[in-house]
Amino acid sequence: MIPDLAQEGKAEEKQWTPQPQAPVVMFNNVGKTYGRYQAIGGISLALSGGVTGILGLNGAGKSTLFKLLMGKLQPTQGEVRLFGTNPWKNPAPYARVGYVPENENMHDWMTAHEFVSTFARLHGLTRDEAKKEAERVLEFVGLSDVMHKKIGRYSKGMRQRAKIAHALVNDPDLIILDEPLQGCDPLARTTIMNVIRELGRMGRTVLLSSHILSEIERITEQIVILHQGRLLAIGNLHAIREQLDNIPHTIEIDCTDAKSLARDVLSLDVVHGLQFPSPTKLKIFTHHLGEFHQRLPRIIVDNEHDVMAISNPDDDLQSILGYLTGGIR
Amino acid sequence: MEKKRGETIWNSLDRKATAIAEFTVRQYRTRLSTWVVLGVGFLAISVVLLFYIDAMNSDIEAVDNDGDSFDWDGDGYVNGQEFKYGTDVNDAFSHPGLLTPPVEPEPASMYINEDDYDWDYSDASTVKTGYDNDGDCTDSSLLPSQKDDNGDGVPCNIVLVYDATSGSYFVYADPYVDEDPDEERYGKEAQHRAFILGIGKLGFVFLLSIFIPLFLATGLIRDEMTSGTMQYMTAKPIARGEIFLYRMLGYLAIVWPYLLVVCTILALVSGFMGPGDQFFRFADLGVWFSILIAALLATLVYGMLFAFLGVLWKYGIILALPIAAWELGMALLSMSVPESSFLRMSIVGWSMSIIDSGAYLVWPDMAMFTEAGSWAGGTNEGSFFFIGGNELPGYNALEWAQSDLGLGMGPYATIVVSMIVLLAQATFFWFIGQLIFKSKEIV
Repeated sequence: MIPDLAQEGKAEEKQWTPQPQAPVVMFNNVGKTYGRYQAIGGISLALSGGVTGILGLNGAGKSTLFKLLMGKLQPTQGEVRLFGTNPWKNPAPYARVGYVPENENMHDWMTAHEFVSTFARLHGLTRDEAKKEAERVLEFVGLSDVMHKKIGRYSKGMRQRAKIAHALVNDPDLIILDEPLQGCDPLARTTIMNVIRELGRMGRTVLLSSHILSEIERITEQIVILHQGRLLAIGNLHAIREQLDNIPHTIEIDCTDAKSLARDVLSLDVVHGLQFPSPTKLKIFTHHLGEFHQRLPRIIVDNEHDVMAISNPDDDLQSILGYLTGGIR
Repeated sequence: MEKKRGETIWNSLDRKATAIAEFTVRQYRTRLSTWVVLGVGFLAISVVLLFYIDAMNSDIEAVDNDGDSFDWDGDGYVNGQEFKYGTDVNDAFSHPGLLTPPVEPEPASMYINEDDYDWDYSDASTVKTGYDNDGDCTDSSLLPSQKDDNGDGVPCNIVLVYDATSGSYFVYADPYVDEDPDEERYGKEAQHRAFILGIGKLGFVFLLSIFIPLFLATGLIRDEMTSGTMQYMTAKPIARGEIFLYRMLGYLAIVWPYLLVVCTILALVSGFMGPGDQFFRFADLGVWFSILIAALLATLVYGMLFAFLGVLWKYGIILALPIAAWELGMALLSMSVPESSFLRMSIVGWSMSIIDSGAYLVWPDMAMFTEAGSWAGGTNEGSFFFIGGNELPGYNALEWAQSDLGLGMGPYATIVVSMIVLLAQATFFWFIGQLIFKSKEIV
């Protein structure tokens, strides 16, 4: 029993073996209450494979669902299963899970490379293996050129990518991302979306949460809608979407010249209305939000519009929820 | 069959352990508060060290405890010389200068500190020792029965009787034996020992070992839970009990070398500055070693305790403060009543008994040495005409700093038992700490 100070040799064999037939994630009538406040109630859900978007407003219970799955919270009712195992007080299944918490605090005093390799070693990798693994995952999320800089000096999007990288070490079968796109600039958003799509193509099970429908729409079609701690809908986004096209959506754009932008935007057939709340603000109404979002960037780039912000309020989600709940909210 | 490397659970544990421990050490290093806490601790210890250096460099005034350096009759011969030659100290026309052949007067300084205590240490409960250096007992015209006042059959000696209940010696001295001790010799030695024991007990085991863990260990788990960064670590395949333990290893990797450095500095300074003919007081290193062991274990136990309190409650430091107060009381109790059973319910009591045992092994004459300071050549017993004060200089400090072995066992047994108890305490706090951590929801 000599300590392996040289950090050589192979990691131990995993003692924990998952049940092959069990779904990756299973909730059976799960509820979680904090005192008198019910965060989620009576959720039953089983997921395996592919990218699934968990959609819901703030406070709908998305993070609670993930934290139950990661053994950070104890369910007050029902049972949670991760690879067929109860995750509460049992860290063994986390060997195959990568978790990106919503929490924005990170170890700012470390470089991304140190951060990722330190946490890689908790999977039982040696120092050298962990360094190589860190380089691999940081390359995967596109941070390899800045990986030796302190996380404290990173932008929001870089921080999110560092968090994703740390979750991808040891090549997990399940990746849980809690609001991975929140606060990111458009470029980081695109990079992260590509990473998630790539993970989906690699056959991993990915769960990601968001309160913005259009974000999820660009990544996956398989969605779960949570509302006030209850499961509202599971299934293909298109099926739900088609029914929603008669509800107009609103998009707000902050720009230097709203009028010229409006002229170009009107060339899109999906746009059916405009409003000018101020000279630098444009409100656009459309029935086809997804298509609009796909075509908008080209218009902006081709006509060299100066756009400060595109606010995509969760009006669209609000309207889905309104539609699904029949106005009972 | 030889096992291939890297196949044991130990290896994997080790990877996780070193990863978290290294992480924790680096985290501490990047925090300013760590350096402030360690710096203030070092500063506090250094101030006491300065007092010690000052004490070692200042002379202690020699006191003529038996008053024989006076010349009462003004004949130019001091009383001590007149005693020796049997002339009358109150008659100016009776002095050794009138004897044939005449004797030259000797300077008064020869009769100050001229009969130092010279006691042999022995384990026996009754020790016959002492030597009448100036011959005012042996050579005097006292009757044989007067010369053997303590009735042990040997004239002009001292009988020391150990009293197990008080842990000190009773002194039964024949008259004029060891009656004018050297204040400088006694005082420096007593101050030196009192400094080592005092700084070991209150400086290391109390001040450093409580306040450093209070500031560094209370947030070991709690700070991460509050800031939310614990989310990352608890999402990895590692038990929370392990996280607790390995974070603790990182804390120890900061605190233990620090204690080693501070302890070494003090051991070197006091070893070179300390009294005695030798170049360096090597024997004292034994006491310093026991101080180091006590401080290492105390920082371990307090670290576990405070980290556990931090896990238990967001404001764990509030729970830690009454414990620190209780430990201060126990520290003082341990120095006065080392056998008190209250001490068994403390951490500091067990740590200090390690230091007392170390001191007992290095300075076996401690009880006798302390008693010599109290007896002060008999001046404190009222049997002598005396001019000096009561106790010898340094006696009070030594009496305060030293204490007996309170467990009723030998020194080695005391060290072993105390170490086992401290390790058991640390294990206990770790166990309940991780139990609570495990059932904590990390929001």
